[in-house]
Amino acid sequence: MTVPLLAVDKLEVVYQRAITAIQGVSLKVSEGQIVAILGTNGAGKTTTLRAISGFLGLDDARVTEGTILFRGAHLENRPPHEITWRGLAIVPERDKVFPNLSVAENLAVVPRRRGTADGRSMEEVVYHFFPRLAELKRREAGLLSGGERQMLAIASGLMCAPDLLLIDELSLGLAPVAVGKLTESLVQIRDELGISILLVEQSASVALRIADYGYVLENGRVVLDGDAQRLLGHADIQEFYLGHAGGSRRSYRDVKQYRRSRRWYG
Amino acid sequence: MSKPLPSASGHFRRSYADEFRLIETRLAKTSAAAFALVLLVFPFAVSPFYVDLATQVFLAAIGALALMLLTGIAGQISLGHAGLLAAGAFTTGILYKEFGAPFWVTLPSAALAGALLGVVFGLPSLRLRGLYLAVSTLALHFLVVYLGGEYETRRGFSTGILVDPPVVFGYEIYAPRVWYFVLLAAAALTLLICINLMRSRSGRAWRAIHSNETVAEALGIGIARYKLLAFVITSAITAMAGALFAYYRGFVSIEAFSLYLTIQYVAMIIIGGMGSLLGALLGALFVTLFPYVIEGAMAALPGADRLAGSVFAVNYAAFGIVMILFLVFEPQGLVGIWRRVRNYFLLWPFRQTALGERP
Amino acid sequence: MQLAVNILVLAAIYALIACGYVLIYRVSRVLNLAHGELMMLGAYMLVATASAFSMSPVMAVVIAALMSLAVGGMVYLFLMRRMTGEMVLAAVLTTVALGILIRGAVILIWSAQQYHPRAMLGWGNPVITLPGDARISLYAALLIMATVVVYGGLFLFLRFGRWGMRMRAAGQDPLLAAQRGINLHAVFALAWGLSTFTGALAGILIALDSGLDSTMVMIGLKAFPAALVGGLDSLAGALLGALIIAAAEVGVIRFIDPLLADVVPFIVLIAMLVIRPWGLFGTREELDRV
Repeated sequence: MTVPLLAVDKLEVVYQRAITAIQGVSLKVSEGQIVAILGTNGAGKTTTLRAISGFLGLDDARVTEGTILFRGAHLENRPPHEITWRGLAIVPERDKVFPNLSVAENLAVVPRRRGTADGRSMEEVVYHFFPRLAELKRREAGLLSGGERQMLAIASGLMCAPDLLLIDELSLGLAPVAVGKLTESLVQIRDELGISILLVEQSASVALRIADYGYVLENGRVVLDGDAQRLLGHADIQEFYLGHAGGSRRSYRDVKQYRRSRRWYG
Repeated sequence: MSKPLPSASGHFRRSYADEFRLIETRLAKTSAAAFALVLLVFPFAVSPFYVDLATQVFLAAIGALALMLLTGIAGQISLGHAGLLAAGAFTTGILYKEFGAPFWVTLPSAALAGALLGVVFGLPSLRLRGLYLAVSTLALHFLVVYLGGEYETRRGFSTGILVDPPVVFGYEIYAPRVWYFVLLAAAALTLLICINLMRSRSGRAWRAIHSNETVAEALGIGIARYKLLAFVITSAITAMAGALFAYYRGFVSIEAFSLYLTIQYVAMIIIGGMGSLLGALLGALFVTLFPYVIEGAMAALPGADRLAGSVFAVNYAAFGIVMILFLVFEPQGLVGIWRRVRNYFLLWPFRQTALGERP
Repeated sequence: MQLAVNILVLAAIYALIACGYVLIYRVSRVLNLAHGELMMLGAYMLVATASAFSMSPVMAVVIAALMSLAVGGMVYLFLMRRMTGEMVLAAVLTTVALGILIRGAVILIWSAQQYHPRAMLGWGNPVITLPGDARISLYAALLIMATVVVYGGLFLFLRFGRWGMRMRAAGQDPLLAAQRGINLHAVFALAWGLSTFTGALAGILIALDSGLDSTMVMIGLKAFPAALVGGLDSLAGALLGALIIAAAEVGVIRFIDPLLADVVPFIVLIAMLVIRPWGLFGTREELDRV
């Protein structure tokens, strides 16, 4: 087996020197894979993502245990721009575009690592995937619709020609139609450019539809992982993330019991 | 800003009466009594130079406590502190010079002038926050200083206004030791007022406004009222400190109230430790003694005498460096250091370590 | 006519200094209250280079200006960088402390005496008579030209330059800028460098025109209302603000009371804060962000 692109091993993050947010989280992303991290609010998804992308310092948090290896290089507690330069771009959850800059300027501010193999400029590549953005070049990003903003955010992430794209809450606040189009584009980007993608999502249905592999986080630990197809079929996922009640409805007490067991034995 | 770690002590309040006490433990009582005794004996044990120094510290402490209420507790940044001191001093000077007003008229008048000015300084705070508020108070400082200067030139007191020592019940307050006790009493009274304000509804409202204005408003705290109150109280106390300053020095001149004075007061609350009354006292002590320490150090260091002609420049530079060091390395100020030392001894032989930190 | 020229010269001085406040505030939301001192430091650098490069006066001026560019960058890298993420107040007070430090250091190094760098460089200051019988000194004219060039350059740089765009981006959303791979420290250091450079340019030209001592700080402080009246995050605003402040100041000196000169900018500032706190061209929501 080859060395994975991104390997997170037994990661532990402590906030304000007092609160442990995630503990013993391990995950892998291989070349050309789309991987999803699922979990409810407060499960530690965003913390994991921030640890990988170097944004813990803002909240007075630190990686205290474990390693994050990207192409074999350590990323723990490195400054964010350096992580981006190494080929790991992030599309954040909120405030994802510069509102007072035009679409073209939003793309232009990104420092680029290199062009593409076939000699096209990154702009051309981006407009190829998102032709809508080419039409809106001159428009201020603050005036775009939610879907267009998400497009621009992904496009900006692509501008630095990453090897891995981290996307935080792709579907948040977007219409299902827009989400469908965006996920199609992601698959297309992966297929054509060979860029790996790590999705952090609350919506399991969106993420598992395009992902190859998935991790489920609860209370700061990975409680479940496996191929996307297997996860989609898993009874717990069906019930707690996709909202399909199983054959026999469980009582509230059973659910609580389930949560508790996940917390302690997961 | 990193939050202070919880402090360790073996003392817990067990009744409502405990909550209201000013002094809680026997150790605190003993040390307070010992400290009071030292303060009482101090002027009789040392040379007049040190008595004067201590008196200056008390004077600074009054102003620093007032500023701490406004900036450290209520979170309203003011860069107009020297302007307020000037207002108090000039009210005293003018009333004395023009009408021969006695002590018991000038002091309340100074407080009143300060309170009025507090409303003026505070009005922008209803619309402005943070930086903009700092800027507006800075602008008002220049305005007050200009008015003072204008008065001096118009009336021909271009070198300053002379103020005779105050007479209280036929007794002239003139001797350094008498001033020492007068200002010690004034500083102690200010401290008591501040402590009780902190424990009252207004103190809680101020802290709520400081941490989150929107939430405070949602909780039913009248933002405008409490902000203005903070400015008024601070300004009144500061103006009285200015009046006392005028009497103590026997001289009022606008030269004394430069922007540097404001910076010194702001430095007191930073160096002392934001949000703590003890910090204001420590800061006042530190900043007042600082130039003397520098001077002493320069006299002691060989080769420093060639800088003797520019003592004030050395002072400026050293003061800037110390301020920067505190802001960068010890944002909690002297109080932060004090808390760490205290916790070290309270916890001994154990040590406080943060989660994930290797001891 | 002479009045208009005086206003223009003063406005140019204020505008050239004010753009330094705007640059730093716009990029990092920090109000640099040491700007006046940094500007004075730039002028004193000319005193230093004037004696070192007495052969080539132009060289001395260029080197002094470039040195201030470096000083500004270093102020960020060694001092202000540590204050990022701290409360805004702490950062502003750090600049205040820096100002005091510079003031002390300048007097320690160069003493409190007055310097005349123009004489040191062996240059004259011919008076140019303009049509309408108005007179302007050569360096005052140069100052106006420098202001025009600096503002033109900054507009182009921020609009089209890649780093200019990054500065705008970082000013809008530093977190996102870092996520896009923009080196925030480089952007901030550049902003501090440019700000100090333009300030020093003003300081050098003023010193060449009318001599130099530590009172120059006051000019720097008076330029600050100009930046705020125009709107702290707007360069165009700073230009207009400088014109308003200069007109008010010159008018008051001429028609009312010269003693008011040092207060007028602040009176205008207070008036502005009462009417329209975010300034003429400033962004309104800036007020809530601080």
